[in-house]
Amino acid sequence: MPHIVKSTILEAPTGRVWEVLRDFNGHDRWHPAVATSQIERAQPSDKIGCVRRFKLKDGSELREQLLALSDLEQTFSYCLLDTPIPMFNYVAHVRLLPVTDGDRTFWHWESRFTTRPGEGERIAHMVAEDIYQGGFDAIRRHLQEAA
Amino acid sequence: MSRVYVSTVVNARNDRVWARVRDFNGLPNWHPAIAESRIEGGEPSDKVGCVRDFRLRNGDRIREKLLGLSDFDMYCTYSILESPMGVENYVATLRLTPVTDGEKTFMEWSAEFDCAPEREAELIENIGGGVFQGGFDALKRAFGG
Repeated sequence: MPHIVKSTILEAPTGRVWEVLRDFNGHDRWHPAVATSQIERAQPSDKIGCVRRFKLKDGSELREQLLALSDLEQTFSYCLLDTPIPMFNYVAHVRLLPVTDGDRTFWHWESRFTTRPGEGERIAHMVAEDIYQGGFDAIRRHLQEAA
Repeated sequence: MSRVYVSTVVNARNDRVWARVRDFNGLPNWHPAIAESRIEGGEPSDKVGCVRDFRLRNGDRIREKLLGLSDFDMYCTYSILESPMGVENYVATLRLTPVTDGEKTFMEWSAEFDCAPEREAELIENIGGGVFQGGFDALKRAFGG
């Protein structure tokens, strides 16, 4: 079962990063891969169980469900419901931790999934680099522009 | 219950930092406040349950017991058995997590304890700002940032 772990340090306090990340429907405003996003049935984006339906820039459509969200721990978890690529049982966890030495943020993003034989490495690399690392770099720019 | 939490980023891969801090008897090798340390009963320093008896440069003597050690998750948990600090039920954890973006290490050091209410602020400052951050600063110097 492929296991993806990516982490980075951001030069901003966790509160500022969390403000951006906690909106489960907000990724089309900062993630370069995401074109449009909406929450199904007009539910609030912090309602546990809500589903985001979004389109990537390449036109593919995905649905993901919010499994857990904690403002106290600054964490959230979600799973993939529908995707055109062969990823099954995908569950991801995002976690922010304060770097007290300098008031910065440690951002940890990890997931596990299953796939068809022989596809694991290619898909894991794509998710790790295009989605997670691409997301880190985008948030870093997003925070600089907002500052 | 009082809680202290400090964290930092060390500019080296987590396995290198872990090699430096995993030895429960090794504080004098990297922490500037610790003068000497020994493990009681001649036990190995990675035997869970072993007790370190160490002396600070200021002369204070502290005995701590190893409660948990994981080379896989890279953490070490211990409690204070005896100290002049005036704390009870003190349990601390030192934890390393890799930063994949740039081969750095995220380091957390936290403790929970009970104490007299009027001493809480001073203890949190001494433990977090003094002992823990002092150890971090020494590691950052040792690993160049």
